[in-house]
Amino acid sequence: MRGRTRLPGRLPDTVTAWLARGVIVFLYVPIVVVVVLSFNDSDVTYKWAGFSTRWYGVLAQDTDLLAALRVSAEVGLISATLATAGGLFAAMGMGRLGPRGRAVFSGSLFLPLVIPEIVLGVALLSVFGTLKASLGLTTLVLGHLVVTLPYAALIVLGAHRALDPALDEAAADLGCGAWQRFRLVTVPLLKQALLASWLLCFTISFGNIVMSTFTSGVGTTTLPLRVYSLLKTGLTPEINALGTLLVLFTFVIILGAGLRQMRRVLIGDGTD
Amino acid sequence: MTVTAAPPAPVSGPPAPRAGRARHRAVTFALLAPAGLTVLALVLVPLVLVVRNSFALPDAYGGIKGGFTLANYTELFDPVYLKVFGYSLGMAALNTAVCLLLGYVVSYWLAGRPPRRQGLLLLLIIVPFWTDFLVRTFAWINLLSPGGPVNGLTDALGVTHGPAQWIPSQGASFVGLVYAFLPTAIFPIYATLRGVDPSLGEAARDLGCGWWRVHTRVLLPLVRPGLLAAALLTFIPTLGVFVIPVLLGGGKNQLVGNLIVTLYTEFRNQPMGAAASVVLLVLMIASVAVLGTAAGRLRRRTS
Repeated sequence: MRGRTRLPGRLPDTVTAWLARGVIVFLYVPIVVVVVLSFNDSDVTYKWAGFSTRWYGVLAQDTDLLAALRVSAEVGLISATLATAGGLFAAMGMGRLGPRGRAVFSGSLFLPLVIPEIVLGVALLSVFGTLKASLGLTTLVLGHLVVTLPYAALIVLGAHRALDPALDEAAADLGCGAWQRFRLVTVPLLKQALLASWLLCFTISFGNIVMSTFTSGVGTTTLPLRVYSLLKTGLTPEINALGTLLVLFTFVIILGAGLRQMRRVLIGDGTD
Repeated sequence: MTVTAAPPAPVSGPPAPRAGRARHRAVTFALLAPAGLTVLALVLVPLVLVVRNSFALPDAYGGIKGGFTLANYTELFDPVYLKVFGYSLGMAALNTAVCLLLGYVVSYWLAGRPPRRQGLLLLLIIVPFWTDFLVRTFAWINLLSPGGPVNGLTDALGVTHGPAQWIPSQGASFVGLVYAFLPTAIFPIYATLRGVDPSLGEAARDLGCGWWRVHTRVLLPLVRPGLLAAALLTFIPTLGVFVIPVLLGGGKNQLVGNLIVTLYTEFRNQPMGAAASVVLLVLMIASVAVLGTAAGRLRRRTS
């Protein structure tokens, strides 16, 4: 090893810094292109023919897509609510378990995260097949519950663990019953986490395609499934317009609520 | 569900210890039941059923007839299917490698920014992460179309002359995969790197380590848990993807995910689809085990 000063580190660091910036730009180029091309006054997506909002008009008239949007919204609403409620109760219950029980329970709760989603879908389909259940809104909701519940649990568990147990004890000392403590202490303190969990679960459900492929029935085509089948015949400017609205939807969700919770889920704690 | 889970407790004095413990248990059980039963009924039992179905015979209507056969597995040893598994593993490995490399570079850079900037930059990475998966995929159809933006750029640079047919192709499919999983890989690496004391790298540098050694001898071993998590979060889902190869790869070079969907929806052969799913599950468990031992060996070597 030669005796080196600080200088040799500079050039590789500059290179990696530019590479990192390049990667972040790379993450945005496709998204920006979708947004720009959605305002393209042409029947072909990639040939620019001037600014126009006509594809948004076409989109608003597309009854098939609107019906699919409705299904997705319904499924997202129900599954996000169920997942968040399930996550909240699980978090409260796990606080009452011993370390062993907690480990076992959280292990099974997060199991769906490490199993390929397609296997989860196939597995659910096997159950529905055995029960001779007809595929529809119910099976879709159950499928989406499987993929959203671990995320809800992640968010709510993290926030619940950060709660000061003294607050609950103080409420009990002041004569609050369990239900009152739940309603007046636990839920208000977790309000942000619950909102974040709900929004994230809704987004996951709304964009889900793998699970939906196996759990949707005739007449319950979700938006992604509909778009996927449209894309197989070719990309149209109308789909770009829809994509732009979905990008906007992402912005609203992320900026609107729960950035801190989201950060906590993605990279661990959310102290800063 | 909510009210029965936590009925109001009597306010007057603590209950008798024995009854109190039983009640405590009952409440705990009631709280855990919704999530626990969901996982049991919608994940664990279904997985057992898939394994069972993978040994069953198909009926004429795309359902399960019952019985016991190994034919579904022996049929998967057909070269056509073996090729799919081999291609999937290769593609997933390559995608994981690229995502880890770029993920580490971005995380390292990110961790070196001032704290305030880090939050903002992280937000920048979260936005594409939460953007609809399909949108992120069909965005590449826009970009790579003949005469599209990328084509225009390469024309201007003189690399291509006129419309180029980049899509569908294996390359396009791969770019789509990297694009889809890169943010997923960044988060766990950044999360661990953020916990590493930056003075360790500086100390190594002061003690004479070059740039390469600072990373390979000091930082990378410390970020290993994050790299491992990122590898799993990239490798496993890549095997199950089916949308990207169809839309960007033209459906020619299929991944295991495509195979499973095709077996279920087009061939209407549920038992064989179940067998392919079980193979995917086994591949996943095997890759977790391989990554785990690799990490263990590395740890022993460095310590």
